[in-house]
Amino acid sequence: MQPPSRLDLDLALCDRPFAPYPLLAQWSGGDWAAEAHFIGRMRGVGERGQDLQALEVEHYPGMTERMLEALAREEAARCGARRILLRHCVGQVAPGEAIVLLAVAAERRGQAIETCRRLLERLKHDAPFWKKEVGPAGQHWVRTNSGYEPSSGPLAPL
Amino acid sequence: MVEPLLTLRLFASLREEQGWSERTVPLGPAPLTAAALQQQLGLTRRDLRIAVNQRFVAADQLLRAGDEVAFLPPITGG
Repeated sequence: MQPPSRLDLDLALCDRPFAPYPLLAQWSGGDWAAEAHFIGRMRGVGERGQDLQALEVEHYPGMTERMLEALAREEAARCGARRILLRHCVGQVAPGEAIVLLAVAAERRGQAIETCRRLLERLKHDAPFWKKEVGPAGQHWVRTNSGYEPSSGPLAPL
Repeated sequence: MVEPLLTLRLFASLREEQGWSERTVPLGPAPLTAAALQQQLGLTRRDLRIAVNQRFVAADQLLRAGDEVAFLPPITGG
């Protein structure tokens, strides 16, 4: 008989810059053969094409953590992931610094990659974070998240 | 008797536009939906989502004493 499938979640908000690779190195390895990793960094250019000095990331304390866990559990169950590592910055972020780190381990690559992709899209729309762009020309709230844009379209059969 | 209250919270651009982030208001005896509360507060933006007790709800959600009601502009995280 198969043991009941377990899900290990390590989810946290970071109120100061974090280095994603040491976190990944600590997390990576273990019982599952497939891992998908994503690091999102702050762009130096804003949504109006202006130079940026910083981003300020606001969140809804309590609800943000609750939504991250709910979304992670939902997508892991849907896609078959076994372990998830997530870090998301709140407060001030400088260009080039990591805003989000997401890593997913599963038995197979499809499970790991799909969970990573879907969870990232879900948190961009359903986890209450708001970004304000700060630059020499002033500050403004980002109006909307960009859509997911695969650069090469659907995969052709091999 | 303790007066029934609602805690209201605004975030990000909405908080800056309205000039407040949190306030407590009395909840009257008549049924009140989240959408009716939004209208009473004069929050006319059409792009807001509503959370009650830190969960997303539909606009016709009935509010109860002690609820925390948050109005959220479009999310831009990740």
